[in-house]
Amino acid sequence: MSYRYSAENTPPTPERASEVAITTHEHVYEVDPRLMELHVLQQTFPNWDTLRIMHARHDHLAWMHTHFAEKTVTGSELIAEIEDSR
Amino acid sequence: MRRGWLFVTTLERPSTDLVDRVVERLRGVLRPDQILTSKTDRYNRARVPAPFPVHRWRERVPDLAVLPETTEEVAAVVSIANELRCPVVPRDGGTGLTDGAVPLHGGIVVDVKRMNRIHELDLENRTVTVGTGINMLKLNEQLAKHGLIYPDDPASYPCSLVGGRIGTSGWSLIGSRYGHTRDLVLSFDFVLPTGEILHVGDGAGGKISKSSSGYQLKHLFMGHQGTLGIATKATLKLYPKPEAELSPFWAFDDYDAAYRFTGALARAGVATFAGAVLFDEYKVAYLRRDDEAYIPQPADVRALTCAVLYGWEDEVRVGGKRLFRIAKEHGARYLGDEISEGDWAARHDRYATPLHGRTKAGQVVPMSWHCEDAAVNYTDVPAVTKAWHEIVADLRRKTDVFDDWGMFAYTSADTGVDYLTEIDVGIWEQRLDDAAWAMWVKAKRDIAAAALAHGGSISACHGSCREGEVDLVPRELGRGFDVMLGVKRMLDPNNIMNPGKYLLDLAYQGDVSAQLAELRGPS
Amino acid sequence: MTQTEPDMRPDALQKPFTPGAPSNDPELESYPETVSGPVPLELTDRRTAEFVEEWRNASYNCYSSGHKFCREVCPVMQVTRNESWTPTAFHANVVAMEKGELEIADIAEDYVNCTQCGACELRCPNTLFTGDFYKFRTRTVDVVKAVRALAVESGVHQPNWQTWNERTNDRTHEPVLGETEISQENVRNWAEGLDIPIGGDTVLFVDCEAAFYRTAVPRAVAQILQKAGYEFGLMGEQWCCGGPAAEMGYVDQAKRFARHNLDNWRSTGTKRLLVLDPHDYISFTEDYPKYFGAEFDIEVVLVVEVLADLLAQGKLTPTVPVDRTITYHDPCRLNKRKGIWEEPRQILRAIPGLTFHDVDRVTQWSYCSGGGGGLPVEKPELTAAISEKRLGHAAELGVDTLVSACPWSERPLSEAGDAKDIDVIDIHELFAESLGITVGGSRGTVGDKRCGGGGCGGGGCS
Repeated sequence: MSYRYSAENTPPTPERASEVAITTHEHVYEVDPRLMELHVLQQTFPNWDTLRIMHARHDHLAWMHTHFAEKTVTGSELIAEIEDSR
Repeated sequence: MRRGWLFVTTLERPSTDLVDRVVERLRGVLRPDQILTSKTDRYNRARVPAPFPVHRWRERVPDLAVLPETTEEVAAVVSIANELRCPVVPRDGGTGLTDGAVPLHGGIVVDVKRMNRIHELDLENRTVTVGTGINMLKLNEQLAKHGLIYPDDPASYPCSLVGGRIGTSGWSLIGSRYGHTRDLVLSFDFVLPTGEILHVGDGAGGKISKSSSGYQLKHLFMGHQGTLGIATKATLKLYPKPEAELSPFWAFDDYDAAYRFTGALARAGVATFAGAVLFDEYKVAYLRRDDEAYIPQPADVRALTCAVLYGWEDEVRVGGKRLFRIAKEHGARYLGDEISEGDWAARHDRYATPLHGRTKAGQVVPMSWHCEDAAVNYTDVPAVTKAWHEIVADLRRKTDVFDDWGMFAYTSADTGVDYLTEIDVGIWEQRLDDAAWAMWVKAKRDIAAAALAHGGSISACHGSCREGEVDLVPRELGRGFDVMLGVKRMLDPNNIMNPGKYLLDLAYQGDVSAQLAELRGPS
Repeated sequence: MTQTEPDMRPDALQKPFTPGAPSNDPELESYPETVSGPVPLELTDRRTAEFVEEWRNASYNCYSSGHKFCREVCPVMQVTRNESWTPTAFHANVVAMEKGELEIADIAEDYVNCTQCGACELRCPNTLFTGDFYKFRTRTVDVVKAVRALAVESGVHQPNWQTWNERTNDRTHEPVLGETEISQENVRNWAEGLDIPIGGDTVLFVDCEAAFYRTAVPRAVAQILQKAGYEFGLMGEQWCCGGPAAEMGYVDQAKRFARHNLDNWRSTGTKRLLVLDPHDYISFTEDYPKYFGAEFDIEVVLVVEVLADLLAQGKLTPTVPVDRTITYHDPCRLNKRKGIWEEPRQILRAIPGLTFHDVDRVTQWSYCSGGGGGLPVEKPELTAAISEKRLGHAAELGVDTLVSACPWSERPLSEAGDAKDIDVIDIHELFAESLGITVGGSRGTVGDKRCGGGGCGGGGCS
């Protein structure tokens, strides 16, 4: 909950997620940086900004659900009901 | 070689003198802040999201823009333009993909965004009457307070406007349940190219959903891409805001299995079924570039189907269980609640972002997104899919300016008869020169031709008046295109309303049967 | 069956692939490029050329997508409905400059129409859906600031901004309107009688509007912190943070002010900065790091987060009931630009007696007071219209009070609230009242209609 230059500009150690992507923060995927070396260069991205965007995305998606319907029915519930009724 | 666009007459842009006279006359009907003439005012009303040769931006810049606030002001502007023979280009959200709102011959852009009032909410008859400059998301924020929704849901849902939906006869993501714009708009006020005001729609009161009195004119004044006039105020049909939503996503080893399953879902006759989407193998490979839902998926996830249901919770549950039983029969693998919900919620505003773009070697490049669409019957979807990917592969063999972002097929109706079939193409506009643009125009023509060859329509969704595809409209419509020319000539005697679109300049050139025959090609 | 293309000499493009995967067919890298691309234009103006080089890709990412999802969340667009003043236009103009179609003199005035609230860049799919993935997001606020700076460097001034920044330069603080004379001598007047030391490990930085006009806010903050036993001092010689100058394009002045403040913290051995104003919080966590890099080793802490923490630890317990029906205004710079929205709600939910009609933070991406980015200095009528719209949303909820957490929003919101009989109060003022603190100070010349009991400040209260 506080800002420090050194902490914000030290991202977590990346782990490979696929042939073209890595993971850094929990729930955050990032492009393999070797794919952004030529035509578009990555911007300076403090940790807070990465996390802000990730959280805002989740909030936005939840908002869109309630914008279109009061609640969501999950597929797993229905699968369970089908299994139970057999 | 057929080169249809050569038949289009090049209208002169209005002279400086004419523009001055137009501005002078407009000052008599509008306030100064409603008349915009600066360079930025004009440059920012010259394009839509579809990629275009940026070095030719100047050609599309209008001479001025106006911001009317009432139907009467629109009518006054159009009357002046008609009298002085100055082109008029209606502009609503400017989010269309077939250049309807792009000025081809300068003139006056009539920007309706200030006409965004809710005029009347009729809770008993379940209608709302709005200015056409209102956006659907903003409208639904108001309607939600009354437990209602206007379910017109394009990919541009958070920014496109009701008037643009009328002008393009838009397609809705959840149209299989609620219908598309043409079904949801009951009536509207419309300014004709002469400045006369027409009320389009059934019955005197404007709130009738079905009449059989006289010619059915509503469809004629929808989807014309602004060539017949400007919708200013519309009465819309409202539904109860759904209590529940279900949006399952399923994975498959290959395209054919996902295709068979999609068809089975659409044919199931579930009343709450609002749509199904088929993601082909190119689309899934594309999503693995940067989509958090698909990066971690195992390699045998190659094609996807999703479905969505809306309604009361009890009926959604019953319908949902039927779809899950069909899924079991088809060996569909459910992708889980988190991906299903997250991915569906992102579909209401799923415009591509530029950094999806890649060179063939994999470097990230900023690309403009172009979505080529067609309406195709279920049985023809695989063949069209193959043909389109080959057209784009051929572009990629020549250059990294183009990229294949995969294909979707969406149900358009509740029976599964036809699908909005789209191929998403990344275009690196920064590298787009005249040669690359010519390649793209040819590809667009080939894409449209493939849809027609399989009994489809050039467009389910966007319209078909862009360079390339437009040449094939006379072939698709046949004799109907001659009727279009007649209607245009009658309603717009001076060709001031969005000139240069849909080959409609042919309406003013006497006998054009030879040109039409050549455009249509051998029957 | 797997999808492949029919009837062709087999090649690498005939099947789906994910570009950049090391396992891909190497043939993909061997196709010759046949498109040469347009010839780039050489711009004659050096400043413009440098500007375009720096921002062309950032702006092109907006231009090429053209989603326009920013449009209906943009506060200026919502009240003007003029597409020339939308975030997309602000980016498109840069592309037009690159193409030689527009010059800085053509575009400068349009860029007044922005509060730098950040809604556009957050709502943009290029940020919201892929910004974190690519570490490349939409930067409308930065582009607006850069265009304004280019205008100032090129001698294209907006008259009121020019005067405002000249006066700020003369007085070392912004010339906010009010009864207190703006001068270095008076910057700590708000703290009269509170016995706060100068300097120390932690200092409280008070923005110009709060220090000279809405003095009830810093008084509330200081007394709450004192009540919790939280040690802090005031700056030895506080100057304006420089943020407003940076927002209006007067970058050299902004940097000079920032240098002064950093040097002053050094001179008092200060390691931590307590910030009560969201605008200052942006300056210290975004502008200062850009100016000074790793040299900027001061910890920056937002007061409302500290208070929520003290509340959670039980070091502060509000007990005095406050009989108000409220809604909360998410300050743009907290909610949109920093993602801070939970802590203020934690505080409000802890205050006894309140009836709280909350509006979620995503809906509030499209709300704004219009008080930021220099807009009220150059176009007060737009600020007033934006505040009026915000109060309209509040009125629909049937509340008597709108609570904000941003002093700069509170003046225009209060003025708009007067017309709707809705009081506008700062969250720190409200929290102090519930903690039984007699705040004192001024809540400005409007507002104060419902204050009663021990929590009422001075100023215009009657």
